[in-house]
Order: sequence, then C-alpha cells, then structure tokens
Amino acid sequence: MSQPQQSTVRNRLLKALTPSDFALLQPHLELVATELRQPLIKPNEPVKQLYFPEVGFSSITTQGSGGKVEVCIIGREGLVGGIPLLLGSDRTPHDHFVQGPGEMLAISSQAFCGAVGQSASLHKLLLRFTQVQYVQTAQTAFVNASYQIEVRLARWLLMCHDRLDGDELRLTHEFLSMMLGTQRTSATLAVQALEGHRFIKAQRGRVTILNREALENLADDGYGLPETEYARLIEGA
Amino acid sequence: MPRYFFNVRHRPGPAGLARDPESEELADANAAREYALSEARAMIARDRLEMIRDWMVCTFEITEEASRHVLTVPFSDTVPGHEED
Repeated sequence: MSQPQQSTVRNRLLKALTPSDFALLQPHLELVATELRQPLIKPNEPVKQLYFPEVGFSSITTQGSGGKVEVCIIGREGLVGGIPLLLGSDRTPHDHFVQGPGEMLAISSQAFCGAVGQSASLHKLLLRFTQVQYVQTAQTAFVNASYQIEVRLARWLLMCHDRLDGDELRLTHEFLSMMLGTQRTSATLAVQALEGHRFIKAQRGRVTILNREALENLADDGYGLPETEYARLIEGA
Repeated sequence: MPRYFFNVRHRPGPAGLARDPESEELADANAAREYALSEARAMIARDRLEMIRDWMVCTFEITEEASRHVLTVPFSDTVPGHEED
C-alpha cells in the first residue's frame, strides 16, 4: 500500500511538521476507516496505537457514577493518544472514541515514541499540541462552570463544525447530553432553543448548522481560545 | 415494553412544548412517572438554561408511541408536601 504524502494528508498537525519530521513518521502511518463510537484508546489500558484524524473526529470522556462527560474533542487539527505517551505515561484514565466517522492515520506507540526520540523538533511540536489540548480541556471546565446549556451547546456545535466536512452532524439527544454533561431532557430543551432562533435545524438523529456566525455570537468567549492558541503554537499565526 | 416520550411544557403555546424525539422504554406509566421525577430532580439540581427561568413552572407531558397522552408530571411534584391530593 502506498504511504501518505505530506502534500496530500488532511491532518493539519502532520502538515505543520518539517518534511524531515514527517519522513520519520511516514513509513509507520496506516490509513484506517473509523466508525461512529468505535473505541480508539480504552481507559487504563496501555496505548497501543495513536491516531491522526484525516476525516471525522474523536471525543475524550471521563467516567463518573452519573455517566460519561466529554472533556475534549480532537479532529484533523490533532493527534489522538499523544498526551499520555508524550507526558511519560503509557495509559490514560480517559476514554477516546470516534465521534464523527471517517478515516485516521494510525501509528503504533512504539514507532511513535521511536520517532519522537529521534527529533527534538518533532517532540516540541507535539508538546505544543499537548498544550493546546490542555487549554481546550481547561476551556471545557470554564464553560461548564460558567455558562448555561444553550451557550455550551453552541460552543460544542462550533467545535464539531470545525472538524466536519459539511454542516450536518449525526447526533442523538442522549449522546448530546453526555457530551454536555446534562440530563437528556435539558439537551432537548437547548436544541429547541437554538432551533427556535433558526441557528440550527434538528431532525431525528441529526443536527444541521444553519447560522455559524449566530452560534459564535451566542458562544461568546466560551469559544475561540484553544483555536487561537492552536493557530499561534502550531501554525505560527 | 412501551416507549414513553417525555415532552416538556415550559410555557403556554406551541413553542412552549419541547418534544422528546427519542423516548425511553419503560415498564408502565408508574415507571414513567418515576423516571420523570428523577429526571426533573436532576435538572432542578444541576441544569441551567437561559430559556427556563423557573423549573417549578415546567411540566412533563408524557405520551406513548401514538402521541397518546399518558401522564402529566409537574416538576413541582419533586418537592415533598407540594403534591396536590
């Protein structure tokens, strides 16, 4: 099978690498198809593979007695599974699964660590992405503590929209309530509120973004900080 | 088991009813009432929405598959001694 070329990969983190750093990873990258809800990294088990999303995105959740709550989203701007390995662990207590189906470039932990050990610049860029992920997780804590559910929903939809091709997201309210850390009925009420303003259109199992600008206004400073940090740290904006 | 839809009435008029598109499979109307009370308790305790100023004016209007009305459970029924006999 032909290996992915840096000029044609869609993953923005891979694109941001120097050609020599990309060459260290390239022989080990394997394109895999991903399905909705497919587990990528299971909690408290050694990380065997990491994933650079090409199409679709991954959700990272933490498990409490009341169910799962999402703490982070990673799409084609990033790498799934980098945090534990880059920060000196071999596993994570968090669940990582496919939120938007598509395809990802998988790499074994061994090959990944080997490449990182060979290149200080590769290591540095990946640590910078780790910092962006930390900022996003902190932002999730801030938003969940400070904002009402309509705003949290607007921010979450924007983050998904950033990582989607197109405007439509497959989604049940039950799943959405998990992502937002609310009761299912509250997720339904928030969807109705945004739909009432014509910001989104909700159909059974689907949400379509109709007015992104209005969602950005609603999300206010709940959205944008990790995105700005990404541009600064990864793409040199 | 029948499927129950937990629609929420939060103000008068057609726009004041949030329809539940997904439903829950539960044993009977009694179980549906218990589910509604537990959902309402958790919402009152934790969930804050701009569109809901007061959870106590909200009501679950529970329907079965063919939109048949089954049960009305006011959120205020979560408070002991608040129930009307």
